[in-house]
Amino acid sequence: MTGALPALEAAGLRKVYRARGGGQVVAVDGLSFAVRPGEVVGLLGPNGAGKTTAMQLALALLEPDAGEVRLFGRDPELLEVRRRVGYAPDAPLFPRRLTGLQILALHGELLGFRRVAARDRAERFAEQVGVAEPARRPAGTYSRGQAQRLGLALALLGDPDLVLLDEPTAGLDPAGVAAMRELLVSLRGRGAAVLLNSHLLSEVERVCDRVLFIKEGRLLRTHDVRAGGRRAEVRLANAAQVSARLAEKIPGGALEGDRFRVPVASEDVVPALVRELVAAGAEILEVRLGGAELEQLYLQIVEGRA
Amino acid sequence: MISWPVARAAAREKLRSPAILVVGACFVSAAALGGRAGAPGDTFGGFGVAFLLVLTLALGAGLLSDELDSGHAQLVLLRPLTRAAWLGGRLAGAGVALAAVTAAAWAAAAVASLGSGHALPLSALALLPLAVLWAFAWLSVLTALGAILPGWTNAGALVVAAIAWATLRTTLPALLGHPEWAAAAAELSKYLGPQDPLGLAFDRHALGPALYDACWVFFAWLVAALLFNRRELARRRP
Repeated sequence: MTGALPALEAAGLRKVYRARGGGQVVAVDGLSFAVRPGEVVGLLGPNGAGKTTAMQLALALLEPDAGEVRLFGRDPELLEVRRRVGYAPDAPLFPRRLTGLQILALHGELLGFRRVAARDRAERFAEQVGVAEPARRPAGTYSRGQAQRLGLALALLGDPDLVLLDEPTAGLDPAGVAAMRELLVSLRGRGAAVLLNSHLLSEVERVCDRVLFIKEGRLLRTHDVRAGGRRAEVRLANAAQVSARLAEKIPGGALEGDRFRVPVASEDVVPALVRELVAAGAEILEVRLGGAELEQLYLQIVEGRA
Repeated sequence: MISWPVARAAAREKLRSPAILVVGACFVSAAALGGRAGAPGDTFGGFGVAFLLVLTLALGAGLLSDELDSGHAQLVLLRPLTRAAWLGGRLAGAGVALAAVTAAAWAAAAVASLGSGHALPLSALALLPLAVLWAFAWLSVLTALGAILPGWTNAGALVVAAIAWATLRTTLPALLGHPEWAAAAAELSKYLGPQDPLGLAFDRHALGPALYDACWVFFAWLVAALLFNRRELARRRP
């Protein structure tokens, strides 16, 4: 029964920050959305759009001025609900004098694991997110990327059914970004719901099922990434020479300048597409999956550009 | 009421703080000097009590806000844990650190006293828990203030309030032309904060201050929990 319920359901959320001088900022204004089990939903919007506030409202870290949040159909403040939630904030900071392993073990114990089990789990998760060695040092010595990875380990420590990730790739090296992508896919694979706030459009397009465009605290549009399929973008060295042959061999594609864009069902078909392009005489400089379409949509919806 | 994992983490954190270690070392040294002089009560008298107070302030300053400002408290409080238990854990952890340093000071005084050929009266044993209780009651006050005040201002506010009251209490009656009010103000002072229970070590009938301090700890924690429950936890504001 629980599986049928949205993992996260927000209805009519509104949050106004009041400044000391008497001014006020409407951070979130009538925001409604849901994240279902096994779904990865992205939040996209410019800085100050209210994405982080929306996440904090969803977790009851902030009190909404209006609206309601339900996690698994229940009050987010209930302790048994919190056991099922993981959250990785943007730029997390930790007690400077505790080691990463001690912090992870503390959270393990708070999740109900016994001390020894919590320590074992701490070591396992530190290794899983690639901070096995730094986790033995005090957290005050961590780089931003290491702190980000530790934050991620904390979010995943309790095998949560709902994970909220706020800019999880900020400060991560390319290997970290790739690992994050795999992680999101594995979370979805085991039926967890994920709400992801990220500015990396290509990553969002690759891993998200749906994207919510937000601006000035309002939901502008929901884009179903899977419904429209994906798009491969290929940069060619000899676009002008092969344009006629490409139009003939791959009729679904479109050539714009040196870029050839083709809708694809999934990333599995990309190798075949590359072979087809090479057979048509194309000299390939770069292949990208997704990104461009979402970027266009983002500029169109959020920035109001044609 | 108390999360022990949180308490352990808080104690560990506090006992690794250079500021706490420096104050603790001064406290232990002052206690050892007091012990050599031969009076066990000096462990928590004179310089000793001054260092105990500074240690309490150092332990209580930012006890909650350090965690809230960094955002770690928010992560902890997303676990199945009540705010009151987190608060109790932080307070208990700081209390453990306080007890550890105070015990070291007491032990240093006892060793120095015995080494100087003085006898250690049985009453000296009671000094340790009584001193810890008194300081812990002040720590509870700092925790209650920290539930609403940012950064280390909880310690600052307490110091300012104590100085302001001491000044008012001594000068106001004379300024208003009622010097007889000074005695009433001094009597009132005893109830505005934890009471000094050290006399209990020497006077078995002086249970009042110790009980008063125990109640003070409970009510300060209760006030802290009530205030903290009304707070929004998110650290970021525009």
